[in-house]
Amino acid sequence: METPSLPTQPAAAPAAPASNAVPFGVNEVRLSARQWLATFVLFGLVALLTPGVWKRIERFETGPDYRIPYALSKDYWLYEWRLEQAAKSGRIMVLGDSVVWGEYVLPNGTLSHFLNQQAGQADRFINGGLNGLFPLAQEGLIACYSRPLRHQKVIVHCNVLWMTSPKVDLSTEKEEQFNHSRLVPQFSPWIPCYRADANERLSTLVQREVGFLQWVAHLQNAYFGQKSVLSWTLEDDGGSPARYPNADRNPLAQISLTVPAAPPDDPQRGPRSPRHKAWSTDGQGTTRFDWVDLDTSLQWRAFQRLLVRLRARGNDVLVVLGPFNEHLLAEDNRPAYRKLRDGIATWLQQNQVPAVVPEILPSGLYADASHPLTEGYELLAKRVYADERFRRWLE
Amino acid sequence: MLFHTWPFLVFLMVVLPGFFALRKTRLWLPWLTLASYFFYGWWNPYYLLLVMYSTLLDFCLVALMDHCPKEGQKVEVLARLTGLRFDDRVLKFAFAGSVLATGGIVLLATWGPRTLRPTMAGLGLIVLLMGLGALYSSRRIWLVISLVNNLALLLFFKYARFVAENLNVIFAWLHLPLKMADPSTLMPFGFQYLLPAGISFFTFQSLSYTIDFYLGKMHRERNFLRFATFVCFFPQLMAGPIERARHLLPQFHQFPPIRLQNFTDGASLFLVGLFKKLALANYLSFYVERVYDNPGASGAPALFLATVAFGWQIFFDFSGYTDMARGVAKLMGFNLILNFNNPYLATGLGDFWSRWHISLSSWFRDYVYIPLGGNRGGALNTYRNLFLTFFISGIWHGANWTFMIWGALHGLGVLITRELERSQVYRDRVPKLLKQAGVFLFVTFTWIFFRADSLADALLIVRRTFTATWQNPYFPALMLGLVAVVWMYEFLYESRFRELLQSSFIRVGVAVGLLLYLCVCSSGGGAFIYFQF
Repeated sequence: METPSLPTQPAAAPAAPASNAVPFGVNEVRLSARQWLATFVLFGLVALLTPGVWKRIERFETGPDYRIPYALSKDYWLYEWRLEQAAKSGRIMVLGDSVVWGEYVLPNGTLSHFLNQQAGQADRFINGGLNGLFPLAQEGLIACYSRPLRHQKVIVHCNVLWMTSPKVDLSTEKEEQFNHSRLVPQFSPWIPCYRADANERLSTLVQREVGFLQWVAHLQNAYFGQKSVLSWTLEDDGGSPARYPNADRNPLAQISLTVPAAPPDDPQRGPRSPRHKAWSTDGQGTTRFDWVDLDTSLQWRAFQRLLVRLRARGNDVLVVLGPFNEHLLAEDNRPAYRKLRDGIATWLQQNQVPAVVPEILPSGLYADASHPLTEGYELLAKRVYADERFRRWLE
Repeated sequence: MLFHTWPFLVFLMVVLPGFFALRKTRLWLPWLTLASYFFYGWWNPYYLLLVMYSTLLDFCLVALMDHCPKEGQKVEVLARLTGLRFDDRVLKFAFAGSVLATGGIVLLATWGPRTLRPTMAGLGLIVLLMGLGALYSSRRIWLVISLVNNLALLLFFKYARFVAENLNVIFAWLHLPLKMADPSTLMPFGFQYLLPAGISFFTFQSLSYTIDFYLGKMHRERNFLRFATFVCFFPQLMAGPIERARHLLPQFHQFPPIRLQNFTDGASLFLVGLFKKLALANYLSFYVERVYDNPGASGAPALFLATVAFGWQIFFDFSGYTDMARGVAKLMGFNLILNFNNPYLATGLGDFWSRWHISLSSWFRDYVYIPLGGNRGGALNTYRNLFLTFFISGIWHGANWTFMIWGALHGLGVLITRELERSQVYRDRVPKLLKQAGVFLFVTFTWIFFRADSLADALLIVRRTFTATWQNPYFPALMLGLVAVVWMYEFLYESRFRELLQSSFIRVGVAVGLLLYLCVCSSGGGAFIYFQF
């Protein structure tokens, strides 16, 4: 309302102003076709080259028994880089969820560590587990972030924990929050309890396809506490009253050009950790699970597709099924579990997938329903290594 | 559907090729209408009925207005009532239809579902007025119906709860045994009582058509689809710019020429808008929310900086939306009006309002200020009209006392700066930069009332800004830097260095920088602030 020049009377004549009389804008960044072309070329070059160049600049120290640090569990770009490194020397990848990763144990207490011990080599078996993973997410991880995994020997762990109820199978209608939601199928097959909006689903699909965006996610995961740079500057310290230590920090200084490693003494893991104890020490009794049917299980179907995909890439796949902590099951609940386990074994056999179904471990070597303790992993590795099918496969 | 989301990109990738593929047929316009309705229905398909109803009614009202003689001609009301003797068949049909519809509405209200009664009462009033309009062949009555209908929709969905709550407080205070029902109880069939997104924009846009036709400023639009597309044109449906029928409607008369420049300009506008929204507005909102959600816990510097940050947030958010809207329209070859013109470089409040939300300011100027008398009738009347216009503009923004105070403050501010600008000392001696700083500070102060969740919060923020202790505001240095860069860019753009910014090297560099920054730093974001209006 430009008050000094307000007209005293409305304009009389009906007139359509020429549409091209509208000013373009103010402060415009108005680009011509040539300038747009130059912009796309420049931007494309930067986006295309940065991830590759970054791998030459950033230090990523792995070594024997390396596993993706817990804090970087969602850094899928780093996971792929790790596979790329491992693939070069023709090692054997051990893929799976937190059972393979080693939820309660230190890096030198995992399945891959003890398999290496059995093999008498330091790093023949590579820990390709990821904390918080499950078959529906693992399928996405392998499909989109495991491209170097080709023509290799691969061990895939099958954890029936993900079929213990419709809730963990993600086949319930009720909305559920779960880890690695950016890895699960976004549209097909439909996961009824996954309620992300269309924008989130589409942005996930785009990120999976664009290497530059994956690299950006790596930066956020590795240096900015899984946040965007902007959110990081506003992060509080959790105190009362809250302080915002990043407010006046230089975000660029955060980028140390070295992939953060896991803390050497993780108080949450390893024999000295209070969590590292047998499941029964808390006086926890047996339990009953609402096992899902294999025919309808989303997780099982995802696992099947995962094997098909791995084999389609020319990989030589072996499945280690369990061993699930049967001690924890109520007597009347065990037949349902065995039926499910046998169903999986049968399918693997029918599809000529080499599989090892290790004997159940002693009760005291389990930390919970599916995770062994350090000694449990050691025993498991011995049993797997001693299995005739495994040895045949290995040769 | 928000412009900065992936579903919109998919939508655009379907709509644009379809639009261009249909350029040689007559189907491009229906395609555009369909796309616009889909765009609106994505948010809430039920409220699409509201847009359609409003569109249909205004289209019919103007058609009926067109059949009425100019004011002053005598009409035989009695003959029409007794013998249905109308000179115009359309008006005769409208009268008979209105009478029949009134009967139907009464029947439905009496025998139909109880939840329909409030809707039927409203509809009955409109139909009754339509009968009167036909009977008296009065253009004025048709205009009144359009005003009543559009404003009633706006009042019901936007202000009814606020009015009911405040009346109930007054009734309780006066110990009167009265209680206004919550408006949600008046919804038919148990529909949710939600504020339809963009209602303030599409009703004003539609109203501008009926008023302009009544005032003889434009011709009647005979093509319903063209008019429907004008009302719901998807780029500007949700938050403007509020287009005038005489500007946008003619653009729908023929397929716009396809030029390469439309694409490059459209993409340029869209990129800048996207940057403003994702990189700036959303970032600033994090800080503003933190402070404004708990004003009692923040020190004076934080409150001050959050208020300044909100001033920039709302500018980037709204002008970013407008840029994207104009960009999308431009991709199709349509031109939407400029809505922002460096408002924070204004040297007076009048100047500010000629740069901020220009389409709304000019709407209020043309349809409120001038009909109130404008600057005719002496200084006192001018001031009254100015103040009322700004006060109504405040109410338009939302049903809250804070918006009314915001409008009133701007009204007072405009009166004061208008007086100041009349004095030669102020005009000639006060440096431009000082005037700009004064306007910026005043506008920033008023934003407190605009942003605060309640009047109590607003007053607390004002008080604490001047009295609270000085604590570290933890204002991110990056945020400060970004705003400083943008402000600097604005200043440079209005200076003699403008040509430097327009060089190819700088433009391409800025565009690449914006794209990279969007990819690396932005963190997604919520809806636009003005969608709530």
